[in-house]
Order: sequence, then C-alpha cells, then structure tokens
Amino acid sequence: MYLPDFDYYAPDSVAEACSLLAEHGPKAKILAGGTDLLHKMKHGELAPEVVVSLNNLNALKEIRYEQGRGLIIGARATQNDLATSPVIQEKYRSISEAAHHMANNQIRHIGTVGGNIVNAVPSADLPPILMALGALIQLVGPTGKRTMLLEEFFLGVHQTRIQGDEILTEIIIPEQGFTGSTYIRFGLRRSGALAVASTAVSVTMDGEICRGLRIALGAAAPVPMRARAAEAVLLNRKITDELLEEAGVQAAQESRPRNSIRGSEEYRRDLIRVLTRRALKKAITEGHV
Amino acid sequence: MSLDERITPEQAATQVGTASGENKEYSVIGKSVGRIDGRAKVTGQAKYTGDLKFPGMLYGKILTSPHAHARILSIDTSEAEKLPGVKAVITHKDVPSLKYGISPARWDENIFCIDKVLFVGDKVAAVAAVDEETVYKALKLIKVEYEVLPAVLDPLKAMDEGQAQLHEDYPRNLNTEIHQSFGDVDKALAEAYHVRTDYFVGQRAYQSPIEPHSAISVWEDDKLTVYSSTQSPHYFQYYIARQFGLPMGKVRVLKTHIGGGFGGKLEPTGLEFAGAVLAKLTGRPVKMFYDRHEMFAHNRGRHRQYMKLSTGVDQNGKILGVHADFVMDGGAYTSLGVASAYYAGALLTILYDFDNYKFDMYRVYTNLPACGAQRGHGHPQPRFAFESHLDNIAKDLGIDPIELRLRNARKANTVTPNDFKVESCALTEAIEKARDISNWKQKRSHRPQGRGIGIGLGAFVSGAGYPIYRTNLPHASAVIKVNEDGSSATLYTGAVDIGQGSDTILCQMAAEAMGYSFAKMQIISADTEAAPHDFGAYASRQTLMSGWAVKEAGEEIKAQLLNTAAGIMGYAVEELDCRDERIFVKDQPEISKSFAEVAKEFFVTQGPLVGKGSYTPPKLGGKFKGAAVGTSPAYSFAAQVTEVEVDEETGEVKIVEAWDVHDCGKVINPALLHAQVHGAFYMGMGEAVWEEVKFDDQGRILNSNLAEYRLPTALDMPKFHSELVDSYEPNAPWGVKEVGEGATTPTMGSISNAIFDAIGVRISSLPMSYEKVWRALKEKRKQQTT
Amino acid sequence: MAQVITDAQGVKRYLINLSVNGDTHTLMVKGNSLLVNVLREDLELTGTKKGCELGDCGSCTVLMDGKPVNSCMVLAVEAEGRAITTIEGVAPNDKLDKLQESFIDHAAIQCGYCTPGMILSGKALLTRNPHPTEEEVREAISGNLCRCTGYVNIVKAILAASEQE
Repeated sequence: MYLPDFDYYAPDSVAEACSLLAEHGPKAKILAGGTDLLHKMKHGELAPEVVVSLNNLNALKEIRYEQGRGLIIGARATQNDLATSPVIQEKYRSISEAAHHMANNQIRHIGTVGGNIVNAVPSADLPPILMALGALIQLVGPTGKRTMLLEEFFLGVHQTRIQGDEILTEIIIPEQGFTGSTYIRFGLRRSGALAVASTAVSVTMDGEICRGLRIALGAAAPVPMRARAAEAVLLNRKITDELLEEAGVQAAQESRPRNSIRGSEEYRRDLIRVLTRRALKKAITEGHV
Repeated sequence: MSLDERITPEQAATQVGTASGENKEYSVIGKSVGRIDGRAKVTGQAKYTGDLKFPGMLYGKILTSPHAHARILSIDTSEAEKLPGVKAVITHKDVPSLKYGISPARWDENIFCIDKVLFVGDKVAAVAAVDEETVYKALKLIKVEYEVLPAVLDPLKAMDEGQAQLHEDYPRNLNTEIHQSFGDVDKALAEAYHVRTDYFVGQRAYQSPIEPHSAISVWEDDKLTVYSSTQSPHYFQYYIARQFGLPMGKVRVLKTHIGGGFGGKLEPTGLEFAGAVLAKLTGRPVKMFYDRHEMFAHNRGRHRQYMKLSTGVDQNGKILGVHADFVMDGGAYTSLGVASAYYAGALLTILYDFDNYKFDMYRVYTNLPACGAQRGHGHPQPRFAFESHLDNIAKDLGIDPIELRLRNARKANTVTPNDFKVESCALTEAIEKARDISNWKQKRSHRPQGRGIGIGLGAFVSGAGYPIYRTNLPHASAVIKVNEDGSSATLYTGAVDIGQGSDTILCQMAAEAMGYSFAKMQIISADTEAAPHDFGAYASRQTLMSGWAVKEAGEEIKAQLLNTAAGIMGYAVEELDCRDERIFVKDQPEISKSFAEVAKEFFVTQGPLVGKGSYTPPKLGGKFKGAAVGTSPAYSFAAQVTEVEVDEETGEVKIVEAWDVHDCGKVINPALLHAQVHGAFYMGMGEAVWEEVKFDDQGRILNSNLAEYRLPTALDMPKFHSELVDSYEPNAPWGVKEVGEGATTPTMGSISNAIFDAIGVRISSLPMSYEKVWRALKEKRKQQTT
Repeated sequence: MAQVITDAQGVKRYLINLSVNGDTHTLMVKGNSLLVNVLREDLELTGTKKGCELGDCGSCTVLMDGKPVNSCMVLAVEAEGRAITTIEGVAPNDKLDKLQESFIDHAAIQCGYCTPGMILSGKALLTRNPHPTEEEVREAISGNLCRCTGYVNIVKAILAASEQE
C-alpha cells in the first residue's frame, strides 16, 4: 500500500492552519492523528493534494478543568491521553473508560478525540459519551470561532457542519450535576473491533427518581443519535428494572441501524435494547464509570 | 533404513521415561532448550524475505482481476511502461503457458490468465519498477478490457445444468468426485438401534500468517535463485524448473526466516514465476510481494464445506457405521484441494473404532479464490461436524459425551476401515486425563447460567505416507558435517522451519544421535542448493520424517568417531559409546576422550567427518482409489475440553478455559511442543467463533484485512492447559509423533459442544459467531413460548 | 517546519532529523513517506516488520517518546523531534534486555514476525507499569496479533520479566 503524493504543511498556529485550509480549499485535508485519514488515503478513498498537519499545535493537546466553563479537552488529545488523564478520570471516568476500550493501544496513542469526532462514522466511540454529557465543541475558522452542541454537529456518514477552513479545537463539557454516566460498546472481539452497537448515558438521580438523563447511541443510525423517546420513558420516574427494560425497548425502536458484515439490522437493534438497559443500570448504581 | 532395524515398543518401554518429565536415558532430547533462532528473533536481526535487499533490486507486483468471471479482450500495458521508474511489464504473452497444480490430472492454473479470469484476484499481468510506490501506480495504468461473464459463487448450485462453467475439461464444475465405501454402511444403519443424521457447514477461513508472502528472484547467467517465504523450497524448485524448462540444478530456492505459513505458503503463488521472468527481462533482482489484501485475494485457505453425517449406534452407543456426504467449495483452481477433499473423509475413521464407512465428496469449482491446505489439512471441519454429531447422539441416548467417546475410542495396534494402521495410540488415557484435569464431572453437573463445557477429540498424520507430487525421491534427507577441530557441527537439511521450531528440535536430535551437545550445533536448512532434499513443512511431517534422516546422519557420525576412538583408545568399538561430547568405555566411563579430540584426529587421518541419512516410509495403505491420502507411519491423538460462557442476551461467547491432553509420542522439546498446542488451539478457536472470509454477490472479498477478519487477540485467548500422556511410537525416531496440526483438529468440536452445553441449542455452521448464537437463543425462546 | 526541496516533477521533499535508537539521521523524505518504510528502506532497520499496513496487526510497532505506535500509520515528517525506539534499540549492546531473555526462556517466539512489536509493546508497558496484572499485559499486547503462539507464552514471558524488577 502507499499514500498518494501531497504537499505537507505543519503550521505553528491555528490561524495559519485556517488560512492554509482557506487557500487550498477542497484539495486540502487536516491531519491530526492520521489513523482515519491515512487509512482512507491508502485505500484510495481520499487523495488530498495538500495535507495540513496539526502536529505543531501543542496547545490543542491540553486537557483541563476551568471553573465555570467545565472540562475542556483539546481536540488533539489522543485517545490514550483521555484514558489516562487524571482530570478526566476524576470528573468523568466514563470518558476515560470509553477511550480506553477503543481500537488498540498503538492506535490510541496517535488517534485523537478531534479526529474521532470530525471523521463522523456511525461506530465512533467518543461522540456518544460526549453527547450524553452534553458536550459542546469549538470550531475555529479564519473569521473567528463558534461553539455548538456536539449532537448538532453530525449530518451524515462523513458529513458534519464543519466548514472547509475550520478546525475543531476543543470539546467542552459544562458542569451539569450528573450523578452518573457510562458508555458500553459491543464489539466482535475484545480489542481492535469497531462497535457493532453502543450506548452512552448520563443520569441525574434524586434518590430513586431520575431527574435528568441523556441516552446517546452509536452505530445505531448514520449519525450518533440521542434516544429521546427512551429518555422520556425514564424522566421524572421512579426507576425500576422493568422501566429500564422499557427504555431499552424504546431505544431499540427509535434506532435506525443498518445491515453490514458486522451485524444485521435486527441484531444491532436488539443489542441496543440490551446495552441501553445495562448502561442505564450501571450509571444509576455506579456513578461515572 | 528399514523398519526391522527399529526398536520395538517393548524395547522402547525400557528406554523411555515419562513423556512429560526429563529422561535420564537422553542427554539432549526431551529438554526444553531455547530456540536456536531465539536471539536473532528477539533482536530484530532475523531477516525475512521481505527484509532482504540486493544491489539494483527492483520491486514487483501482480495485477489481478476485478471480476469473478470474465473474458480478457485486450491488455494494454503502454501507459504503465511509460511511467518513469517502470522497468518491465509482463502478461501471459511473456511467460510460459504450461499449466501447473498439485497433480498432472489437475494441472489447471497458468502463471497469468490467457483467455479468462476466474476469480476476483486472478493473475493478469505484472510490473517491475524502482520502488514500491511506482509499482502500485503502474498497476493502475495497465488497461485490461474484459467481457464480464456470469459467475458461479454458490458451490451447491455450481453442479447444476446451465451454470457457467469455469474450466472446459471439468463439466458441471466438478473438480474432484470421491466415492469410497468400506464394509456395509447401509446394513449397519438398517440394523442400528439409533440412527441420526446431521448437517453442518464449515466456512472459508484463511491462514493469515503475519508475514505477507514475498519472493526475490536473482539470475546469474542461466541460473535462477529464488528467496521465498515458502514452506517447501523443494516443491517450489520443482515447479519453477518445470515452468521454465530448467534442470532442477539450475534453480535454487531458499528461505531465510518465515513468518508463519499454516499451509498458505506451501505452493507457488505466482510471485516466484512472475518475479523470475521480470528479473530475467530486466537483468536485475526483483522482489515481488503481496500486501494483506492480496494475500486474502490469493487465499488458498480452508474450504467452505457442506457436511452431512449419518451414524448408526447400538444401545450402548457403540458406533456401527458412518456415512459422510460432503460438498466442498474449491474456488477457481485445484490448488492443493484435491488432497483436502480426500483428507476430509479419510481421517474421519481415525479416532473411533467402527467397521462400516462410506464417504462421498464433491469438490466443485466456483468463481472464488482457490482453497488449499490449512493447518490440519481437510480434517478440522469434518472433525468439528463429527464431534458435534457425536454429542447430539450422546444426548439422544442419554450418555455422557466422554463416556460415549471412551466406548468408541481407538486402541493401539488397530487398523481403520480405510486401511490406516495405527500402532501407538493412547487416546483413552488422553480422554480420561482431560476429563479429570478439567473437573468435567463436577462442571457438567453444576453449571451456572450461560456456562458450558464440551469435549472434542482430534488426530493427525505424522507426515503423509506418499510425496506431495509423484516421485520416488526419499521424503527426507540430512547431512551433518563436523567442524575440523570438532568444536561445532552443522546440520544440513531441507526441512523448513516456518516458526514451529524444526531447526531447534532437529539440532537436538542430531546432537543426541552423535553424542554431541546442542549448544555446538548449527544448521543450514531449507536451501535446495546448500542442503539435501526434504519435502518441507506440511502434513506435520518433519519431526518424524526429517527426524529419521537426522538420526541416521548423527548415528553415522557417531559410528565413525567410535571407530577412530577404538584405534586411539585401544578398545573394541562395541565397548565404546559417546554422549555429551565424551567418548567413553561403557564399563569404565572414567576412561574417555573428548568428541573434539577424536573428531580432529578423524579429519587428519580420514578427511571430512560427515554423516548422512535419508528416510522413505514403508509402503502404507490399501489398494482403493485415494488410498494414499491419510496414510502415515504414525498418528497423534488428542482430547480437548473447553469451557465457555455465553451472554444469553447478546450471544457473545467467551472462551473461559481450555485443556488439551495429547498423545504425541516421545517429546523432543517440551516447551516448543506445548507452544505448538497453544497456537493450534488458538487457530481452531479463531475459526470456531471469529474468523470467516466473506464475499459480496460479485465475488469480492468484504474483509480482506485484519480488522474485519478477526484473529483473536490476547484478550480473547482463555486460560490454557496443555498436558501429555505417555506414549511411544515404534515407527518413529525415539518414538516421536506430530503435534502442530493435530492439535487444531479437536478445537472447533470442543467449542461447539461447550456452546451446546451452555445454551442447549446446536450451532451447526461455522463460525459460531455472536450473532448466530444470539439468533439460536432467540429461536429457542420463541419455541419455548409457543 | 522542515526545509523543503522541490524536484523536477514538482514533488516536494522535506529535510528531517530523525532520532532513532539514540542516533540522529538527517534524511530527505517525501510527505507521503511512512515511518515504517523510512526505517526499513532508508535506515535498513528491518526488525520493524510490515504485516497489514493499516494499524491492525502491530508488526510495525515502534516506540515514539516511549509510547508504542504503529509506524505504518505515522508520516516520517511527523516523527521529527520524537525519540524513536525500534527493536534494534532495545539491546543497544550485546547484552539482551531481560524481556528479550524472557521471550527466549519462555518459548514465547515461534515464527518471530510479531516478536519485535510484541517486545516493544511489552517494554513500554513494563516501563510505565513495572508490575502489571495478567489482564494489563493482555491489554497492552492486544494490538499485536500473533498467529503462532495463542499469546500463552508471550503473556508468561512479560509477567516473568516484570517479576525480576
């Protein structure tokens, strides 16, 4: 296999990167970790003439907590950075756990959180848990920055709201008083397997009453999706095992999985039911795991 | 060496200690010495074919067909030739048109397709260029015009009238048809207390060695040298010489280190043929290589197989007769598949003692990559089917599966209905030990929800009784040369270490036979010029067959040394022996001379100290058509027990723990032997649950990569126990038998039976994927509620 | 940013300093040059193997600043300024690292093709976590596929090396 030829740029600032992107238009692609981009280039699915690497933008690797703003994750943080970050582990262990179960160790050392989001594939692991935690993302372009809810970012497979000259710089998780969150993925082997179905949840429990929750599904539709009907089953209700099962059934019903070599639509749908119920139970009883 | 010269089992019993323990009779064998290539491999110094570089070397690749079945209308290479850096482009016009394959009756493959392509991945042209990138770019510039033809992708329909036909000489796409009958199966089934018929399906699997195939061709005048990642330099040499009309002496094939083969590197791939032509045309060495996708496309993996089994038993579960009726999806060419087809039926008789047996097989051509030999050649899927079938019968009769197997287990010194003579056989002991160490009885009677435990038996040939192609050459030969001062000795053998450790154990055997030490052994192997002939690494043959040749060579060294020592020491030859580098008087061991001293004296007075040996098996087997396949001087036997945990909601299968107990004769290197069992179980486990090559409706592979063709990872492998039972094989050097392939044969059955035990439903097709288990459980629940 | 030279065909080449096993190499590479190919072809460090070229098998594992990565998924230009360790750098002198010894002692090698990557993944684990559990060992090598060993002896070898700490 080989990579097609391209001109390589490694700008020293986000502004410079944006202007390079603006200059080269659709001929240019952003290189973060490269685990998706190089993969596609090796398969001939993409042949950018210009590659704009974020390699020198070390500020984008930062993970920190800002009082009032919440948890801020630089888009270039690797999946293993997320898995091992003390700040994330303290605040939302669920994100660390989700990152830890992705791909394999070598890939996690180079694959980035930003890449996992912008690549926009249905089976991506980080969007569901970030969506469940109400994450916002910041996009920076030549004319300034904008912030949006992550769940509003995705339009379809490989399609998002990012503009050609914009760069995803950070993910922000505002303080929201969740009592628990978790992400459960189902893969066809215990490492190096894309998720066939996955469910992330966040819950805000008040005793046995669920006062707030988000359920986000992966590999369940062309984009990572909120299971709003399933959420409605539980909101402001006293949680019982029967009710959790009902929410699972509801999530399965509102999901739109596809047939693929990894699993039939029917199978994925049933997995969503099971994973949703299990994830809810876990987040309710174990906190951020 | 004739059979009579070998020791009897009775004599052996006095010589051989426990199979698992150290043996005082021997100095070198029976010990877990470290691999002879260990240091090279842990430091990265070990060179594989793809790591080699020669001055001026070019890189080459093969252009393959994008269609499953199509007529080639034209090939235009002009654009590719114009690309800077491209040195040669070749098509069928530039290469010999002689067909090749495993046997003259089924030579059906050309170096490049001439009129038609028969599968997605069939070979059409090749390029040599200055670097890898240029080669890939040049391939895209070759324009081939095709007329797409209807393709046959379903082996069960391939035999129907009106289907597209792949090869002119094979109507109804029938590549191989086998009908064998022994005893009277119809009568046995008619008279049986219980007859059961089951259907099973085995999937297309792929060997997936981690090292991709490569071959480097170098010409010096009219002599061709090919460095290749091959399991059999000799077989490659034979076919390369034949294609180019060269005497075998003008073709040298050798390997450096091999990154695994498992059957997938046993026959020429086209890299060797095309590379030889490109190297000749350009006058430069050419390295041809596959990437991972191309490996899958070339394939030659395990056949997809449809298996119907009918078995009659008496009230006690004694097997009276078996009818096996199979269809194999051969893919587009014969490859080694005619042997796979015979093996599929032949080895079904080896584990259980019954008299009446019938085997029907249709191996059909389809427009898919050809299938060939994969670890356990032909046996693992039928064995999966039979072991599953037997557990179904056990359930019907209310007999414990282990008890049923014990009642039918083959015994030593018996003959199968298809005329395989089994001398050593400790199968009963293996089953009993597996039962005991796995805590079978307790686990069978108290199992938590979702847990299950199952048994499967396995067996394999210790080398095929007949050569891979028709020839009267000995199967193995070896030369040992002692260094002039006796400080080292080099073993020269055609045996091929593809990772299994044959270089190490053959050096142990050489040192033992010579009375020398392992640490001073060196080896030059698998080089058709530097080492004497051996058929190579397949059919689990080297420990026994190459071992015989090495033992004979070592004993010849020892005899010559003792002769010289007798003169120096003033004793009769009969009074002397040699061990651990010391030649000593048997009755007075303190009187001795060093090996080195005597070896040096030998060189001074008589010239090089060289020993040689060769091995040809005795005539084996019956007289019926196909009687040769499955014959062997010796058979290994194994019992495997596996415990699984099934998530009854998702169908996820977790292999929790597994136990293997082997009868593999005397063990030369216990650590390497157990390592073979680990890997064999691992491969069987992968095929049981995870691995399958999948195609779309155009015959294109959907998962030609290691993300979607899922070899199990370290996290999927269970806790594993490998144990032995005492055994000694009279037809083998020091009583050895095979282990590498046989250990993969029981695995799929044992996992199948464990899943059956866990969920109460039989998954009858491989792989027993999570989704299949989920679906079976869903069906079961549906039936329970209605 | 590396110095750039454009050739007659208009293809750019980048001057990089690559630190491999403690030695600095000054190289001209194309933007599309992968680290694995530069190591194998330009520096002739063929202990780094190519198995799948897509980051699935781990044969090409090298350490980048101590962390295992698949060198088939890293551009050579991006490896500038990072400390690269290949299998050839694990035992820079004649004496083997204890993990290498352990692989030999525990029969953890068969064909040897995955071995360099396995050792580097194992080495990175033991550096970060000198006393891993068996599960942690399995996790650390789960991106390194081995077709020969079933990982049984590889896990044992890494655990045994950790006990020697």
